[in-house]
Amino acid sequence: MIGYLIKRLLMLIPVFFAVSIIIFAIIHLIPGDPVDSLLKVGSSPAQRAIIEVRYGLDKPLPVQYAIWLGNLLTGDLGTAIVGRRPVADLVMQALPYSLALGGFALLFSTVVGLVLGVIAALNRDTLIDQIVMGGVLLGSTVPSFWLGLLMILAFAVYFPWFPVSGARGWSSLVLPVLTIGLGGMALVARVTRIEMIDVGRRDFVMLLHAKGLHPMRIALVHVLRHVLIPVVTILALRIGWVLGGAVTVEVVFARPGLGTLLIKALNQHDYPVVQACLLMLAMAVMLGTLLGDILQAAMDPRVRAALA
Amino acid sequence: MTMRFRHAALAATASYFALLGASSAVLAQEAIFVLPLSEVGVPSYDIIRQGNTNLGAYMIYDTMLVQDADQSFHPGLATSWTEAADGMSWTFEIKPGVTFHNGEPLTAAAIVAWLGFFADSDNAFTTQSIAKAEATGEMTVTLTMKNPDPNLLFNLASSTMGVIEPKAYVAMGEDYGVTDAVGTGPFKMESFAIGSETVLVRNDDYTWGSDLADNKGPAKISRITLREIAEDSTAFLELKTGGVDMLMSVPTDFLGELAKEPAISTLTLPGLEVVYMPINVTKAPFDDIKVREAVAFAVNQQEILDAVYGGVGAVANQFLISSLPESQVDPKYLISYDPAKSAALLEEAGWVMGADGVRAKDGAPLTISLWTQSDGSFRRLAEVVQAELKAVGVAAEITTFDSSTIRDQYKTGEQQLAVRSYWWGNADIVDWFFGGDRLGYPNVSMFNDPKAETLRAASMTGSKNSAERIANFKAYHEYVLSQFAFAPIYQPVQNIGYNKERIMMPAVIRAPRITGQTILSMEVIE
Amino acid sequence: MNALATPIIRSLRQPKGAIAGGWLIGLVLLAVFVPLLSPYAYDVQNLPNAFAPPSGAHWFGTDEFGRDLLTRILYGARTSLSVSAIAIGLSVTVGMCLGAAAGYLGGWFDRIVTSIVDLSWSFPEILVALILVAIIGPGVTGTLVAIGVAYLAQFTRLTRAQIMAIKSETYVEASRSLGASNVFILGRHLIPNALAPVLVSAMLATGDAIILEATLGFFGLGAQPPTPSWGSMMSSGTAQLFKAPWIILFPGLAVAITVIAINLFGDALIKSLDIRSRMRAA
Repeated sequence: MIGYLIKRLLMLIPVFFAVSIIIFAIIHLIPGDPVDSLLKVGSSPAQRAIIEVRYGLDKPLPVQYAIWLGNLLTGDLGTAIVGRRPVADLVMQALPYSLALGGFALLFSTVVGLVLGVIAALNRDTLIDQIVMGGVLLGSTVPSFWLGLLMILAFAVYFPWFPVSGARGWSSLVLPVLTIGLGGMALVARVTRIEMIDVGRRDFVMLLHAKGLHPMRIALVHVLRHVLIPVVTILALRIGWVLGGAVTVEVVFARPGLGTLLIKALNQHDYPVVQACLLMLAMAVMLGTLLGDILQAAMDPRVRAALA
Repeated sequence: MTMRFRHAALAATASYFALLGASSAVLAQEAIFVLPLSEVGVPSYDIIRQGNTNLGAYMIYDTMLVQDADQSFHPGLATSWTEAADGMSWTFEIKPGVTFHNGEPLTAAAIVAWLGFFADSDNAFTTQSIAKAEATGEMTVTLTMKNPDPNLLFNLASSTMGVIEPKAYVAMGEDYGVTDAVGTGPFKMESFAIGSETVLVRNDDYTWGSDLADNKGPAKISRITLREIAEDSTAFLELKTGGVDMLMSVPTDFLGELAKEPAISTLTLPGLEVVYMPINVTKAPFDDIKVREAVAFAVNQQEILDAVYGGVGAVANQFLISSLPESQVDPKYLISYDPAKSAALLEEAGWVMGADGVRAKDGAPLTISLWTQSDGSFRRLAEVVQAELKAVGVAAEITTFDSSTIRDQYKTGEQQLAVRSYWWGNADIVDWFFGGDRLGYPNVSMFNDPKAETLRAASMTGSKNSAERIANFKAYHEYVLSQFAFAPIYQPVQNIGYNKERIMMPAVIRAPRITGQTILSMEVIE
Repeated sequence: MNALATPIIRSLRQPKGAIAGGWLIGLVLLAVFVPLLSPYAYDVQNLPNAFAPPSGAHWFGTDEFGRDLLTRILYGARTSLSVSAIAIGLSVTVGMCLGAAAGYLGGWFDRIVTSIVDLSWSFPEILVALILVAIIGPGVTGTLVAIGVAYLAQFTRLTRAQIMAIKSETYVEASRSLGASNVFILGRHLIPNALAPVLVSAMLATGDAIILEATLGFFGLGAQPPTPSWGSMMSSGTAQLFKAPWIILFPGLAVAITVIAINLFGDALIKSLDIRSRMRAA
């Protein structure tokens, strides 16, 4: 198992380089020039040249990439062209907001999704199942910006319980977390329900039933334990989904975070910031995938056997 | 066991969420303002190196001069000034007893050092006519000029020329304006998160408010948060629900709704913005002046004012805000809706109406592109213009771009028509948007005409005094109008919405816009 | 033909499948015949009648230009559905070719395709789409390509997994030992057998694509006016959220109901094809 872990971690290194090249190349395909955003009334071509030299934009692309990568490996994310300060500062300023939003959204998705999934599975093919799964489906089939706007209208305007926007205090987290979390909740509930039903059919569960244990106890203690791993796996694998949802939701709620930072930088062609944001998101997804794969390996006896 | 744990977790989450609700109450003598859409995303308060500024710059810094609502100049950090008869030198007396936020005194030497920072910066144009600045007394600054600059006072009163403490500016380098900013203004920067918010705290030592402020200082409000909200409706809802105290710019769409709110008042100031439609004079069919004239006369300024802007503001018939003397052009140059003239011109130019309602010439339909930016009301405005052009047989295809990328798109020169606006209170904006050396952007019209260039040079550097400058700019402006390089559309007013149960406004606003001097006298009602 | 029609008919016989299928067929018919059904044009402005709330004359109210919202939603269905379906169609075609080739050929080709797919899998679809639209430019074409590329990884991955699962089965081995060419084996045996799960997941992805199209529209990057699409309608409705909430409410409901219908019908298809286990394996 440890060998497998090391192998997987080592495999991340070439992937990381490939991702960094792709990100760098793609950013430079976007038409437009970040220097344009810096020039104001009366600026001359000479002033443009000064700015280009200051940010190293006068050098050929491969050289720019090498410099960027070199700095990256020493922990220097570069300087924002439009933002004019270390990209690391901008990212670190935005990160806590994104982590809070993403973390609570994941927590909400997992807890509520598990509860609903278990309820649906225990009441399989009854009206309760239909209602729960129907409601859950609704949560995952609406655009998150639309859901967010309706939440604002309902719970910030007509019932002014929560703030309309921003990130002032904990109460401003509630609506964004719900908006993202409902989608994730749907996924967790569906997986939980299917896995509960699946695991419920296995021999060991039959044996427990034969032993005369209370069915509720079997479901909540023995079956659920086996269900948790696939649920966590699917969440780890779909971490990008949460991050993607956060981008839109941050914009709708005018919240600071990596999403708003990225969208703004993308619009301003602030290459270093876009690169750093994409790299952060990609790394989060890569680590999520790794975690998911490891969990999958840990739970699949065939994979375990092959590794041993 | 598992079950019990889950219950506990749920209960904990629930009580946690209940706690969250309590913490957002705003303390008294604190206020939250929302910046206008055009000021969202300013990356730094380094107003020398950074082009864009926002309201915060007016609060952190004082300017040498201040402008009244009637555009006249009054003493700010400079108590008096004199210009040599030939316009080749200026002398400024500096107000005594003023200190910067870091305790450094304001002296003539500090002013000279600060002026030196502009060379090679993005804002070098503001000081480019100054040959030399020197301290000729402890509190006296003398400027020797390269050429007479009747616009010097305007520049010295503009937001990019808020006075910065030179030692801190040098010491902080690239961090200046981001981690801290040091001026003499009535508020100090406490924190700044780009694109999100700036927290400003009162400068308790401030006693040097200008003649235009009732309260000379310190400010009455102790702490002000400037929030940046990119979405108009979100900002409006924040004001309506009491989440913020003031919107620096209320979109006209929401004025009716705000009027229904008993707690909200709206303050209206004259506009500094003009909405217009540049016409690319180099792109067929607009290389034909008749077609340009035809589309200019197809724009129904009154309909747009009523339908898109709810009748708030005024129609625009020329390029400048109407409070500028250079806007008073000969009436024959004014452009206003005349569909019959528009149709006649298109007929003359050989464009014949087709069965599908689109004109054609030699089998080619009169289909053109109309660009605009995606924020604010521009998209909506573009759709109305599209329908108005269709009414005279011109099919316009709208393309929207993000507000910050559209400038790069203009630089390709591929645009035909665009709908956009500018925010500026000086006639030199004609030079900025129609100067032959700035084709693409800012010269979206790609207008490059030898006669215009001659008039332009006279306006920009050939004017010895302001009367001459006004005459020169008026002639230049009239010529640009006669060439139909754009169609004027609309002149907004500034609508400031505020919670009158929270904020007490000064009786009169003595400035073209809300500045730190206005905020000095604002009060939070306890 | 039968192989395609039978499961669809069987799905329509299930109650959920029937409701979902009915909605989808009805929506397409309405979108096609809307010029005959509606007294209003989608692009003619009537500014004095702007922001009219839902009424007998305008069932869903009017938008900020006084245009009938119901009419625009049905015209918008043309854009939203066709952009999503064509984008996913492109994605499936390219993804199947790549996935099939990678799964069947194996070796270095497989490794390259797999790692590229895994890489693009690292990025959330919305980010891939946002960046691609930034490169291509806003509008229907940009949206179409962006959505197509954003889902490419999913179909490549799925097809490859299906091919890997089938290729070692006896009949394929038999065919190969009889000297059949790679192209023949892929076209005759592997792709047809991998088709069902891929097509069903394509159908489900079309639902996601509708949401993605709406989200790009929300950022102002989708169909440009006066062409209505559900996303662009909601985008302009955002500004009117408080003044005229129906402008954003109804297109959003159209998206939600359509995506639910697609999901339910997809579930019914999975059931009638009995491919749940194969879908999950991927």
